[in-house]
Amino acid sequence: MLVREVMHGDPITVGPQTSLEDAYAIMRERNIRHLPVMEGKRVVGVVTDRDLRLATSRLAQHPFPPGTEVRTVMAHPVQTAHPLDPIESAARVMRELKIGCLPVLDGPELVGIVTGVDILDALLKLTGVERPSGRLEVRLADQPGELAQLTRFLSDLNVNIHSVLSYPDGEHRGRTVLRVGTMDIRALADGLDAAGFEVLWPPCQPCRK
Amino acid sequence: MPKVIYHPAYRGYDLGPEHPFSPGRIDMVLDLLTDIGAAPELVAPAPVAAAELFGVHDADYVRAVEAASIGEIGPELAALGLGTPDNPIVAGMAEAARWLVGGTLHGARLIAAGEADLVLQLGGGFHHARRRLASGFCLYNDLAVAIRHLVAVGMHVAYIDIDVHHGDGVQEIFYADEHVLTLSLHESGEYLFPGMGWPHELGQGMGRGLKLNVPLEPFTEGGSYLEALEKVSEPAFDFFRPDVLVVQAGADAHHLDTMADLMLTTQDFERVIGTIMRLAERYTRGRALFTLGGGYSLQATPRVWAILYLVLHGLPIPAALPAAWLERWSDHLGGQGIATLHDPDDPYPPVPRRPEIESRNRMMVDRLLDGAARYWL
Repeated sequence: MLVREVMHGDPITVGPQTSLEDAYAIMRERNIRHLPVMEGKRVVGVVTDRDLRLATSRLAQHPFPPGTEVRTVMAHPVQTAHPLDPIESAARVMRELKIGCLPVLDGPELVGIVTGVDILDALLKLTGVERPSGRLEVRLADQPGELAQLTRFLSDLNVNIHSVLSYPDGEHRGRTVLRVGTMDIRALADGLDAAGFEVLWPPCQPCRK
Repeated sequence: MPKVIYHPAYRGYDLGPEHPFSPGRIDMVLDLLTDIGAAPELVAPAPVAAAELFGVHDADYVRAVEAASIGEIGPELAALGLGTPDNPIVAGMAEAARWLVGGTLHGARLIAAGEADLVLQLGGGFHHARRRLASGFCLYNDLAVAIRHLVAVGMHVAYIDIDVHHGDGVQEIFYADEHVLTLSLHESGEYLFPGMGWPHELGQGMGRGLKLNVPLEPFTEGGSYLEALEKVSEPAFDFFRPDVLVVQAGADAHHLDTMADLMLTTQDFERVIGTIMRLAERYTRGRALFTLGGGYSLQATPRVWAILYLVLHGLPIPAALPAAWLERWSDHLGGQGIATLHDPDDPYPPVPRRPEIESRNRMMVDRLLDGAARYWL
């Protein structure tokens, strides 16, 4: 999944001389939290609702007056992303630098903005239930062919796989979470169990029958 | 007297000898009712024509299902959910499904015309069928066709789904409809197909606040189940004022069901059906249309549905299962069968996590009511 698939195109921007008051009004009106600051066609900073609130708070030692220009409080230099960056690298930059958005630049040109919420949406899409399905979680050894055996098993039963998510579980094993197109997930789990797979979900049922 | 709808053509909805959705289940119920001297007087419906499904399903979906049913297998079927282990392509399936839709629709017509208040359709309940997707053993959504007819004559319809799986098809079809309230109690989508049915799925547009979902913890028992049903249905119906109930009475929340993990007993089902009947008396002058649904334990399902029939008729529930019936169905019932119509006392070992399960279910109900009630003001 690439940044261009999750970003918002044509972002709303302000100039460096825009007042804090006006920037705040734009955020309220458009229900957004991040504004790239543009000097001509060049991105020179980013101002967030948090920047505005901290700068103007009555709790601050020297609160800025509402007419202050945003260049005084904006973050710069600006961290940016490219439309063809994978979203995980955008997520890493945002997480490591503790920032909430990245303006997306194609060359010098601003083409979009991606925020933490867009990354959450992507996560929901990756893990979500797009079609009626059951959830299956299997622990596999971290070696070639393991996942192939699992998918072969499902393929032999003609069970469709809607999504696959895999992540490490300790040093030598991995967990694979699948959404599969069958109602009878328990029968499937029993079959996998009998075939030697370690099924983690659906959980085994000690107090059944 | 309730009207009971059935036609032998329902048996044609047979997805194969290994498939859990077996028509034999209804044969077992009818046979059991006859053996206990409560043989139903059956009203025969007619099948619907394919075109009568177009209000609920997309025309191209219906055409593809009809074609597949007579052996014309096109490349588009996989995208429509057909040819899977759950929904195999079987000759004659579309016609049989139209018979079943016809039965449920006939029930709706009887109620709409004032010819009956209480109807039991001995089949149907295909709540997973979507606008253009076969899913979870379901092809055509009989419930949605019936509800649509009731709405067309000006009724407010409250749909109650006690099948252990979320009623995703019915919810999808009426998601933005302000004339239809859907209430589904089911095992949490975290654990069970179809993976949906969360409290935040509240409906869209004018239908907002009228689509209600209570996902229940695995191993939820009858007491907690009933509490959730009562706590949600009463305030919801006070606001919505339904004219008729449509009830999908799947039996797979029974503790013996192999496909899910809820722990209802037949006694609990009797109470749940009684509660729904009281809701019907209080809110809809007794108007209610019941269908069957899921239910995959052959030991439990026929008994649950026989009890459903007896409760709707106000008949006493005999203690023992007739010996002749046990004998005749011994193949289906397996070895050491249950010899009583109700479950035996303490049919399963105590659930160790009961307090935690009950408190999580209460939290779910509160979360649902918090979210929905703002649309009821």
